[in-house]
Amino acid sequence: MNAELPVDPAMLREEVKSKYREVAANPHGGHHFHTGRPLAKRLGYDTALVDAMPDAAVESFAGVANPFLLHPLKPGEKVLDAGSGAGFDCFIAARQVGAAGRVVGIDMLAEMLEKSRASAALMELAQVQFREGLLEDLPVEDGWADVVISNGVINLCADKKRVFQEIRRVLRPGGRLQFADIANGKDVPASAVRNIDLWTA
Amino acid sequence: MLEEVGFVDVQIGAPCDTFGGASGEKQARRFEVYGYPFLARKPG
Repeated sequence: MNAELPVDPAMLREEVKSKYREVAANPHGGHHFHTGRPLAKRLGYDTALVDAMPDAAVESFAGVANPFLLHPLKPGEKVLDAGSGAGFDCFIAARQVGAAGRVVGIDMLAEMLEKSRASAALMELAQVQFREGLLEDLPVEDGWADVVISNGVINLCADKKRVFQEIRRVLRPGGRLQFADIANGKDVPASAVRNIDLWTA
Repeated sequence: MLEEVGFVDVQIGAPCDTFGGASGEKQARRFEVYGYPFLARKPG
């Protein structure tokens, strides 16, 4: 483990997998954050786009803000979603880039990948693809993406610098990173930062 | 950190009360945790 990191990345990854396995299987049950359609409304997503999606495509959404607010996607753009979960933001992106665009979602959790692939098939979104992978080692070639999006995932990675370096690698020159994540206004005690159980609490 | 790894034109949008009304609200309030949209560009 890199001594500069607050927690062991592999151990944190297992903690995150455990938490989000629950969100995939039981999206409405007892989480400390909002999920699904109420959350999408709270975060200011386009209501018409969300209403048109089947429940399975929305129910496990667990983002923290709206990555499309500061810059909409353009038709034909190639988009990578770093930590795509059950695919909600990929489906929003697919509607924005249209049939000429491409959207690739990357996630480490088999349960989320299975759910996102089923929803993409149900919605007949041929321009969307999901791949298994880690944010620290994205399975995408250099310079492929016009845009990288992400929502509430980078804060769950121990080595954020490595993640941003990897995102920069897969973006084309001039490409955009538009992501949503949480930030705290008050310092969290160092002891709490080192407590892996608190990262997903 | 974004600028440190080579991104430019970094923008941060308005905060969103992500955890309001959820069971995690108390902990979020304790550390003033909000969700934000971020935008940055790779030079080129």
